Amino acid sequence: MRKLIILISFTFITNLGFAQNINVKGVVTDAVTGETLPGVNVIVKNSQKGDITDFDGNYKISAVPKGSILVFSYLGYQTKEVVVDKETISTSLEESSETLDEIVVIGYGTQRKKEVTGAVSVVGSETIENLKPTRIEQALQGQVAGVNITASSGAPGAASNIRIRGISTNGNNNPLILVDGNVIEDLSVVNPSDIESINVLKDATAGIYGVRGANGVILITTKSGRKDTDFKVVLNYYTGFQQTTRKIPLLNATEYALLANEAFAANAETIPFPNVGSLGEGTDWQDEVFKNALVRSMDFTINKGTEKSSYSLGASHLDQYGIVGAGKSNFKRTTLKFNFSTEILKNLKLTTSSIFTNTKRKSLSENALGSVLFNALNMPATTTVKDDLGAYSLAPTTGVGIEVINPIAQTENTFNEAIVDKFSGGYGLNYKITDHLSVESRFQFNYAAVNSKYYAPEVYYGGGKVFNSVNNLAALTDDVNSSTVGESKQEFKDYTFDSFIKYERIFNDIHDVKALFGMSVFRSQGVNLRNELGIGANGTSFSEYSVASSDSSQDNLALANRSRRFFDSRLLSYFSRLQYSYEGKYLLSAVIRRDGSSNFGPQNKFGFFPTGSVGWIASDESFLEDSSTINFLKFRASYGIIGNDRIASFRYLSLVNGEGVYVFNNQLSFGQALGSIANPEIRWEKQKPFDVGVDIGLFDKVDITVDYFNKKTEDLLVQPEVSGILGATAPGSGGPLVNAGTVENEGIEFSINYKETIGEDFKFNLNYNFTTLKNEVLYVGSDTGILQGGSFGVGQDPPSRMEAGFPIGYFYGLQTNGIFQNQAEVDAHATQANANPGDIRFVDQNEDGLINGDDRINIGDPIPSITMGLNLSFDYKSFDFNMYAFASIGNEIVRNYERNQPLTNRSVYFLDRWTGEGTSTTFPRVTTGSTSNTLFSDFYVEDGSFARLQNIQLGYTFSDDSLMGTGIDKLRFYLSASNLVTLTKYKGFDPTTSNGAPIGGGIDQGFYPSPKTFLIGFNVNF
Amino acid sequence: MLIFKMKKMKKLYIKISMIIISLTAFTACSDDFVNVDSNDVTSEDFFNSEEDYQNALIGAYDLLQSTWINAMLGEIASDNTLAGGESATDVIGIQEIDDMIHTPVNNDLRGIWGLMFAGINRTNFILEFQDKIDFSGKNQIIAQARFLRAYYYFELVKWFGDVPLAIDKQILFGEESSYERSPASEVYSLIEQDLMFASDNLPSVQTEAGRVTKGAAQALLGKAYLYQDKFSEAAQVLEALIQSGTYSLVTDYNTIFEEDGENNVESVFEIQYTDVEGAGFGCLQCSEGNVAVGFSGIRNYEGPDFTSGFSFNVPVQEAYDAFDNDDPRRDIAILDINAWAASTGATFGTGNEHTGYFNRKYIPRTRSSNALPDLNLTNPNNYRAIRYADVLLMAAEANNRGGLNESKAQEYLNQVRRRAFGDELHDVTASGSSLTNAIYLERRLELVGEGHRFFDLVRTGKAAQEINGFQEGKHELFPIPAIEIQLAGNVWAQNPGY
Repeated sequence: MRKLIILISFTFITNLGFAQNINVKGVVTDAVTGETLPGVNVIVKNSQKGDITDFDGNYKISAVPKGSILVFSYLGYQTKEVVVDKETISTSLEESSETLDEIVVIGYGTQRKKEVTGAVSVVGSETIENLKPTRIEQALQGQVAGVNITASSGAPGAASNIRIRGISTNGNNNPLILVDGNVIEDLSVVNPSDIESINVLKDATAGIYGVRGANGVILITTKSGRKDTDFKVVLNYYTGFQQTTRKIPLLNATEYALLANEAFAANAETIPFPNVGSLGEGTDWQDEVFKNALVRSMDFTINKGTEKSSYSLGASHLDQYGIVGAGKSNFKRTTLKFNFSTEILKNLKLTTSSIFTNTKRKSLSENALGSVLFNALNMPATTTVKDDLGAYSLAPTTGVGIEVINPIAQTENTFNEAIVDKFSGGYGLNYKITDHLSVESRFQFNYAAVNSKYYAPEVYYGGGKVFNSVNNLAALTDDVNSSTVGESKQEFKDYTFDSFIKYERIFNDIHDVKALFGMSVFRSQGVNLRNELGIGANGTSFSEYSVASSDSSQDNLALANRSRRFFDSRLLSYFSRLQYSYEGKYLLSAVIRRDGSSNFGPQNKFGFFPTGSVGWIASDESFLEDSSTINFLKFRASYGIIGNDRIASFRYLSLVNGEGVYVFNNQLSFGQALGSIANPEIRWEKQKPFDVGVDIGLFDKVDITVDYFNKKTEDLLVQPEVSGILGATAPGSGGPLVNAGTVENEGIEFSINYKETIGEDFKFNLNYNFTTLKNEVLYVGSDTGILQGGSFGVGQDPPSRMEAGFPIGYFYGLQTNGIFQNQAEVDAHATQANANPGDIRFVDQNEDGLINGDDRINIGDPIPSITMGLNLSFDYKSFDFNMYAFASIGNEIVRNYERNQPLTNRSVYFLDRWTGEGTSTTFPRVTTGSTSNTLFSDFYVEDGSFARLQNIQLGYTFSDDSLMGTGIDKLRFYLSASNLVTLTKYKGFDPTTSNGAPIGGGIDQGFYPSPKTFLIGFNVNF
Repeated sequence: MLIFKMKKMKKLYIKISMIIISLTAFTACSDDFVNVDSNDVTSEDFFNSEEDYQNALIGAYDLLQSTWINAMLGEIASDNTLAGGESATDVIGIQEIDDMIHTPVNNDLRGIWGLMFAGINRTNFILEFQDKIDFSGKNQIIAQARFLRAYYYFELVKWFGDVPLAIDKQILFGEESSYERSPASEVYSLIEQDLMFASDNLPSVQTEAGRVTKGAAQALLGKAYLYQDKFSEAAQVLEALIQSGTYSLVTDYNTIFEEDGENNVESVFEIQYTDVEGAGFGCLQCSEGNVAVGFSGIRNYEGPDFTSGFSFNVPVQEAYDAFDNDDPRRDIAILDINAWAASTGATFGTGNEHTGYFNRKYIPRTRSSNALPDLNLTNPNNYRAIRYADVLLMAAEANNRGGLNESKAQEYLNQVRRRAFGDELHDVTASGSSLTNAIYLERRLELVGEGHRFFDLVRTGKAAQEINGFQEGKHELFPIPAIEIQLAGNVWAQNPGY
């Protein structure tokens, strides 16, 4: 009994001593801006007690035991813990620079990076601002492991090819791109300064988008205002000039003439240049064609937030001129953006986003036989730009082929403009029914009108040239006007309507459940509104030429006798996602989506796409919780089935949309005929992506992510060769699309990020990532098992193939084995057409004694085996320095810009040609006679590996003291250079050359190189 | 209190309506949403009006323009011309046929195979639905379609021999392997039936230049008979054509192949071309121009009357020498470029196998201002597929070789010679086998450059002695492209010798 009393009184005293309860209250503010933060979770640790700060940042919790810990947490801010020792506990929270607290957009919602179970990478606005891209894709290059960006051209306004984890299809590899939930196909219309973050879903996480996820998904969010913020203005401006990253060293006039003479003599023909001594340097066509070009950009954004609403208004203007052709290739973009969101009721929020973009683009012919740069490389150095009369020199009639013409004249005669006016809007309502249940509906649409115009003047470039529109020089000055004007207008519109319900609740502090159920409707159309040709154009300037003012005109759409709507696609989807985490340590995510698309055949309209991922945050386990080395360790894996629906419309129907044109009474008569052969069983391409990865955080400074991925894409759409008796070679017809191919992409992604602060003044950040990629075609279901593509030379077989056992688009040609040094070697070798000493010796692969097409093998492919990115940035006092570098290793490029005719110019490597026994074992002789040297072989396949310093920047920020009283919050000046240095063995203009075609990519026919850019600019915040 | 209640009611009202709106959003769309109708008609829903048949018929005519390669190779394969081109490897398929070393791997043969079947499928598209609706004048459309089917099959049987027969139904994807190679005799049988129907149902004269006439059907039928050595049938139908008086020889041979001479009274059937539509190498069969003309043109030419081309199909000295020196047709048909350059100051380049001659009938002339690029591919020169002179020579041959009427044979032959020389001093008086040889020679002289020589040599058994490298028992037919045999299920045997 006495023991009991002592026990009771002891506990009583203890309770008296320790169980003092306080009613705690306080204000939570932002550590940097000092503004109050509404919606912050304030919880008493290890209890159910808590509160959420109101609009003024106030909270209060009653009966909190003294000495317990208050945990302040808010999405995007560092969680803070404070011991309860008094009644008023106010605190300020710092924005989280922890990657773990970063918000990641995962599709119809967001997630903390810590809890993500898939392979998702984020590029933040700071990185984008540093890189200063003219197009957003450039900001992804080297930033995200697994993402490879290749420019389809260095020309202003040119599209980039985005490849996420390899090449998944022989069709369209473009990932699904959503800007604030709105489908965007052409990224040139978005202003990079408007972007808040770019989130890339690389693995089965993309499965939330079902049949559109197989190429990966890129989710872009734009900057919107925040509530309760003062009026803020951000102004950015930069200007600078661009020049070519490389000029190919060509022979000057004297060297050119000497070599031409040698070639003619080797074939016992009269030499073309008897008097070489007087030729001198001649014309440097590349110098004439490449000019420094201006680039400048300005944009401003205004943000304001009231208690219930926030606004963000932004505008931008970009002028980029081309390094080739000066004013004839350029790109101008103007954007206007208005984001507005408000709380209509306490639980009902309206978000709106409206973007208007206007782009104007002028372009030159590029990367093709007879393109401007192709001609600059092949025009003889002995021809002057203008002749004695001041007119542009004609190209020689013989000896250069019918496509090579004076590139300056060609540029002067190119007149075109494409204007895009685009309006995108997104309007969403979010209604919080209860604390846990919310419903959201969004309507987004895009409307774009594309107006194009070209003017083709009367031109004569020399005898028999393909570009001539008249047959001789005299015709240029006669009374007949054969110039033409073309005007066309197309309309693209689409809308997306999403509606979903979310249920989020934490049960017992342990079970965190998030469930999502929704539906989505998408419709996209393209319509040809106008396509007219004016013959005999009248006027004195490009703006004056028009179809209306021409002598006569022709309405191509009326004649074509076909539908104007050239695609109409619809998608109807239902999806559901369940996310579950147990104690925040064991994570599970499961998604199922049902998609129906109008592009698929009637048997296969709907499909189910299930995906799932799991994760384990090992660092939260007891054995690692207190580790000071490993502050974060998460293992994750994902798998599922997703699809690719980028196929043409109506391929399951046999339509009368072929071409049937004949001539009666000397007039064109337009009839009708069947189009492509139908395949009623056409379906989507199916992908099974497997990913396993680990995220490691060390010392609170180093973040490492490693992923292994294996994606198998089946049911690839191939257009196999079909029997000729089906008539598919008729004009406007074609073979059927059949789901019969499989390709596999496999690789490892590695990314390491190291952040360090030394003392007060010095901060630095290092990020290095690499991706290995192995691409292999597993099956091609055509009768021959092979698909061909690409082009090489003139009249030669296609050089690229898709075939089981090889990478997609590999190069198929002859293998070389040195040079024949003498006749004996020629005789000893297998029969090779026109072989003489000095010619390339090809390997007789099948050992049949004959060198022909049967001796071709795999001689390379355009897919890199490893890509890597390196980013380095320092902050020292007021200075900041950034450097971004990118490297690609193992990709090969086909050199196809040499016309190889008797009088075309050549590069300086020809100086090393074979001129006699023992003079060269790698470079053949020059001759105008027929040889096999120009057949496609590994002599034309070069190593395209490169490392490039993408961007280097030095900035200076004025101190707060110097800005006092000016009203300016921040002022920063900077100098920046892009593509400053490129290290590569590739002899062409630009090792990133590729038109992006899965079969036929990586072939250089005078690729418009990426420019080297020097900029100066400033950022001002008010 | 009341106001408070109203506020609460308003909130409840909004709450309920939001839930209702979001729920209806979910059920708004049914699965039918993704059933989209194409704006273009499907093949099953076509042929609902006369206009549909007329439009489909134009589509069937379209493939005639792709026979430019048939005509060009018909000369190159023979002893008339060499392949030419830019170099020995310019269009390998053509080079190999010239040298009689062609194999079943040949892009140009594959092109002919595919495009002729494309034409047949387009005619069968009409004929499959010929009974769907009725309207006056339907028979004329059917008749034109059947002529075209016969034309395309005639090309196939000449080039490849036994070929799959598709009669009044298109060959659909999946059915390829169920077609056997029907014997040439059956193909000819269909050709004869089609042409007989056509000649019975077509008018002698068409208002639209380029449309098939009764005479065209009769002429082609006569030619088909002649190729099968059915001399009396040939003589009969050609006689009917000759007696109809619809066609006659023009006086001046030099006008036949110029633009002014298009669709003249001597033209029994002429394939139409124009230069007002652009064309590119990406789809040669889409071109509305005569591609053979650009290909056969003088390389890098600058001078009067003509314009440049790719120097294919170059006549040999022996063909030039086959003419008598006083035969005016010689320099109208074959251009001696050196003599021309000397007299006009024109300049030119030389290509592969340069002979100094060009196929003057079908090389590019000075172009009009309407011509669209690629000028090399959009030449407007029509192809005179069947000329009245050819009809006369065929009738002469049928009458002579069939032992039917020697004097008629001589008369028809001499009509051609009188027009050529402008007098009766060059008449042929031979008979029997000498007359036969005279007719054969006359065919070569009158029709040089027009694509008939190779097949004339083969059907008369003269190919082996005239053509270098020609092997009897093999080269009479061209090989079916190996890949075509493979793609049709590997059930066909190849032509002998390949």
